[in-house]
Amino acid sequence: MKLAQQLALAAIGVAALATVPWWGSAVLIQFGINALILATLAQSWNIIGGYTGYPSFGNSVFYGLGGYGTAIAMVQFHLPFAAGLALGAMLAVLFAFLLGLPVLRLRGHYFAIATLGLAEVMAAIVSNLEIAGRNVGLVLPLLKGDALFFELSLGLLALTTLVVAWISRSRFGFGLVAIRENEEAAAVMGINTTLYKVLAFALCSVFTALAGGIHTYWITYLDPDSAFDISLNVKMIIMAVFGGAGTVFGPVLGAFLLSAISEVLASRITSMASLFFGLVIVAAIVFMPRGFADLIRRFREVGWRYFQENVKAHRL
Amino acid sequence: MQLLWQVLVNGVLLGGLYALMALGLALIWGVLNIVNLAHGALIMLGAYVCYYLFTGFGWDPFAALPVAMLVLFCLGYLLQRYLLNLVIRAPMFNTLLITFGLEVVITYLAQIAFSADFRTINPSYAGANFPLFGATVPVVRILAFGVALALTVALWLLLVRTRIGRAIRATAQNLVAARLYGVDPRRLYALTFGLGAALAGAAGSLYGVVSQINPYIGAGLTAKSFAIAIIGGLENPLYVLVGGLFLGIAEALTALYIGPTYTDVVSFGILVLVLIVRPTGLLGRTA
Amino acid sequence: MSAILEIRNLTKRFQGLVAINNVNLALEHNEILGLIGPNGSGKTTLVSLVSGTLQPSEGSLLFEGASIQHVPAFRRAHLGIGRTFQIMRPFPGLSVLDNVAVGALFGTSGGHHRLRDAQEEAHRCLQFVGLNNRAAQRADALGGPDRKRLELAKALAMRPRLLLLDEVMAGLNHVEIEEVVGIIKKVRERGISILVIEHVMKAIKHLSDRLVVLNHGEKIAEGKPDDVLNDPQVVTAYLGRKRI
Repeated sequence: MKLAQQLALAAIGVAALATVPWWGSAVLIQFGINALILATLAQSWNIIGGYTGYPSFGNSVFYGLGGYGTAIAMVQFHLPFAAGLALGAMLAVLFAFLLGLPVLRLRGHYFAIATLGLAEVMAAIVSNLEIAGRNVGLVLPLLKGDALFFELSLGLLALTTLVVAWISRSRFGFGLVAIRENEEAAAVMGINTTLYKVLAFALCSVFTALAGGIHTYWITYLDPDSAFDISLNVKMIIMAVFGGAGTVFGPVLGAFLLSAISEVLASRITSMASLFFGLVIVAAIVFMPRGFADLIRRFREVGWRYFQENVKAHRL
Repeated sequence: MQLLWQVLVNGVLLGGLYALMALGLALIWGVLNIVNLAHGALIMLGAYVCYYLFTGFGWDPFAALPVAMLVLFCLGYLLQRYLLNLVIRAPMFNTLLITFGLEVVITYLAQIAFSADFRTINPSYAGANFPLFGATVPVVRILAFGVALALTVALWLLLVRTRIGRAIRATAQNLVAARLYGVDPRRLYALTFGLGAALAGAAGSLYGVVSQINPYIGAGLTAKSFAIAIIGGLENPLYVLVGGLFLGIAEALTALYIGPTYTDVVSFGILVLVLIVRPTGLLGRTA
Repeated sequence: MSAILEIRNLTKRFQGLVAINNVNLALEHNEILGLIGPNGSGKTTLVSLVSGTLQPSEGSLLFEGASIQHVPAFRRAHLGIGRTFQIMRPFPGLSVLDNVAVGALFGTSGGHHRLRDAQEEAHRCLQFVGLNNRAAQRADALGGPDRKRLELAKALAMRPRLLLLDEVMAGLNHVEIEEVVGIIKKVRERGISILVIEHVMKAIKHLSDRLVVLNHGEKIAEGKPDDVLNDPQVVTAYLGRKRI
């Protein structure tokens, strides 16, 4: 299926989803908002982690900056929501440029650890800031109407996915993929790897921050622990990888699937959702490490042997 | 001046424990190239084993420590042998994610089994202190420091002086060559992971004596262990010791001169700086 | 006519090991210059210094009269320097076509800006090296000789003015070697200057206008192929008294 056809199908899907607030139950709408936000986070991570091949554990910083930007603007300065979102996004982009530059010089797991360190530092710094409410955090004004948040989240996800679709067929995107596959060769072929990496990082920071702002306003509360939560970062990575990192729709698929599984388990077996989530991750990494997108593609060719092959290829 | 000395002593004692915490992580990372996000969870389990031996059977925590090490060794061996060995040739990123999954599972099971309450291991001598050139040193902390130091040196000796240690190091450098020498990598990897887990178990037992534990301490301890391992350098247990001492002292000084809420800023700030400027660690060879 | 590439007093040290020692070399426009020498003599290091992957410890590099030793690798590509890698480095997850398209998207003068133009260029380059029938396959599905052609096509797609070829003939049989020699000669006919590193002596003898010999990072001979290959110093450097 060509990209244009996939996008057309997705557009229909978006239109259909947009109607949910009118007929869905309150629980469904809330589930929807969470799933849409997570999908946006996974899709943004896809830009730096999936396409460029730099697995960032610092996206939680962008989420937190988006959340705090919005919260500080609205609570401390009584600015409207849009201004808060803009502030959050600007902070995130600034961070991406300033700290992206030194940190993107690191390869592989060192980059991952460095971004993890940055996330911890930011959480610690923010918990000491008066304007951010220190350890206690901030409480935002309540806006009733989940429908609005649902549509906002849906719109943001659609926008992020469109950007990723553009990346996948653009000169910029090819440059990113070349960097992922072989950075030294990419440089020698004429790609300004430093610029491209920082741009990818900055791009993903914008969408992550916007998602953080929307989510924070909806929850009406944030504190340093929840804003810069590393496990949120790992969640978005797992969703992106589970669905298929480096593909246009993989992360969205992964986010929706895992959210649905988690929700179903939570309602059936209440508190065991966490446990099953962990087990699903473990099983997925062993049997389908390249994600759902790859599974769908290759299942037609090899059938059930797909899982066996993955294990054989990666075992000691 | 007096206060500074006390703070430095505190820092050094904390640093020893820090080093032990990071040791298992550094070993597994350095030898198996596995970034173990479940490391903190293993520390937590070690703490609980020690706790239940103490409260259930009245064992002194320092006597329970070897048992905790043994239990964690077996757990680690099994995990590596039957689970992690399945994904070890995949991109390193995959082991990172799978260990995260393990962390979620372990934490959840611990929460069910042990409840979320804070606990601490309080032997009868918990409140005893003794003076050290004017500083007050809690007996448990100096004992913990001693144990941590001993284990670090023991690991170093194991790696450098024994046959099994040489096999471990050889496998770390060149799996194919090691195989040609008759090393069975599956067992050796499992053994190494077990060793790393055992060290985590020891660290957990000591942690339970000097601080409070609950099922959720894992993630924070993992992050801290990363910082220590990287700052010191992954190559050598003695480097990790230096990393631990360095961070322990840095945190103690930060708490004194800047404020106790800033210790994480300093620890992780140093981590990021070290990664940017000298990724092989303060003592490691330049890349 | 000035040389397209001038290497002056170039030295490269790696923590005590001197890999390239005071090398002077000039490549004339539209010339095919062969670079030979025993293993470890520094040939690939020299190419890496020219392409920008490595920075020199001392000395200077001039490309078309302008100094480039402080120019980053990607900008040297924009100036017109293209290279292949000895240990082949395709972009494994991409198709053969897309591998070459990267070269077309980013090569000399920044390359094409539209993906479609780049892919057309890529097809042309694949045609040139005889690999177009495999354009849709994944790059990591190719065998050794085809990977060499892919490397060549990628470099050509950059539309270089200077092409650095690092052992494109290793592991090929006689027929394949002749084909590659033919392709390289056709490349030269397009006005491109070429520096060829090779071990396959017969091929490089027939291909090169001039030869340069490196040993232990130093230039020990330079001149016409016949003269150079019979130079006793060169013969000794390779294998004692064995005749080439």
